[in-house]
Amino acid sequence: MTKISSLLLTLLVAASMAPDFAAAQEVSEQRIVLGLGKLVGAAPLIDIAILRQEAMDGGGVAMASLPNWGKIAKLPQMVVEIDFENDSVMIKPESYRSLGLIADALHHPNLWAYKFLIVGHSSSTGSDKHNLELSEKRAAAIGEILSTTFAVDPERLYAVGVGEYFPIDGSKGDSASNRRVQLVNLGVFTTP
Amino acid sequence: MKTRRTIATTLLIGLALTGATRAETLSYADAVTKLAQDCGADIKKFCHGLNLGNGRIADCLQKNAAKISPVCVGTITTVLTSISQREQAQAAYAGVCKHDIAQLCSSVKGDGYRLACLIKAEKRVGKACNQAITDAGWR
Repeated sequence: MTKISSLLLTLLVAASMAPDFAAAQEVSEQRIVLGLGKLVGAAPLIDIAILRQEAMDGGGVAMASLPNWGKIAKLPQMVVEIDFENDSVMIKPESYRSLGLIADALHHPNLWAYKFLIVGHSSSTGSDKHNLELSEKRAAAIGEILSTTFAVDPERLYAVGVGEYFPIDGSKGDSASNRRVQLVNLGVFTTP
Repeated sequence: MKTRRTIATTLLIGLALTGATRAETLSYADAVTKLAQDCGADIKKFCHGLNLGNGRIADCLQKNAAKISPVCVGTITTVLTSISQREQAQAAYAGVCKHDIAQLCSSVKGDGYRLACLIKAEKRVGKACNQAITDAGWR
């Protein structure tokens, strides 16, 4: 398929994880700000190691049905498609804009008090372990880009990879949609 | 595109002359879009294997300045300048607008709502604060 390069940004508002997942929308900074800003109630405490383990043990069940990921699924979030070079953390220049849009949104006063979780996903081509590692590296790369090139305070960013464990559509495990990166608003933290 | 070029040119000339010309700042999204458009081919050619982040792409392009396209060379300057202008405006906002917030939006809680209040009260907000909001790209 040659349409990998097409940039698809899907905005996911609040908890509705399932049906409109693939519906592409015109995304603007304003939309990201509004979509991610709808945080109601206190955010749960996040332990990256637990989340990673839960994703591995969960083995492909819906994110919302797992105890810790279930809490994440309820938070304001959006899905961004970032085009990486095949089997690499290299982001294609065509996807720079998506990262820029996220950065603009994170620099807006509506969002600047919040912390965010970057969740990297991968296609199901290749071994589980390899995909998990790749998605970890991709999530970390996005965190690095946001905190260096785009000057977002690294203290506000958490990154975790979940490999192929939460595919959008099980029947299309290798589709570009599973190269998605999820951005979740974790809420206002008073760092312990 | 033409407009953006003009803005970029104005920005560069302004900086070259006095540094005093006020040009519209670019958002991160527009800045990197411009970078991808004007330097995408050079990035793929000369910086293959390098990822955005930590100044790697900018360093690589600058290192290869003699080989990359002149348009790309110009774009790097524009993009870096514009990003830093916007960052400065965002960092300065709280200080510059402190008085306006106290005067007009003191009862409003939350940074986002305060900004919305200032934007709504644009006509009564001071010039410096209005300019900071514009330069920060929040209007």
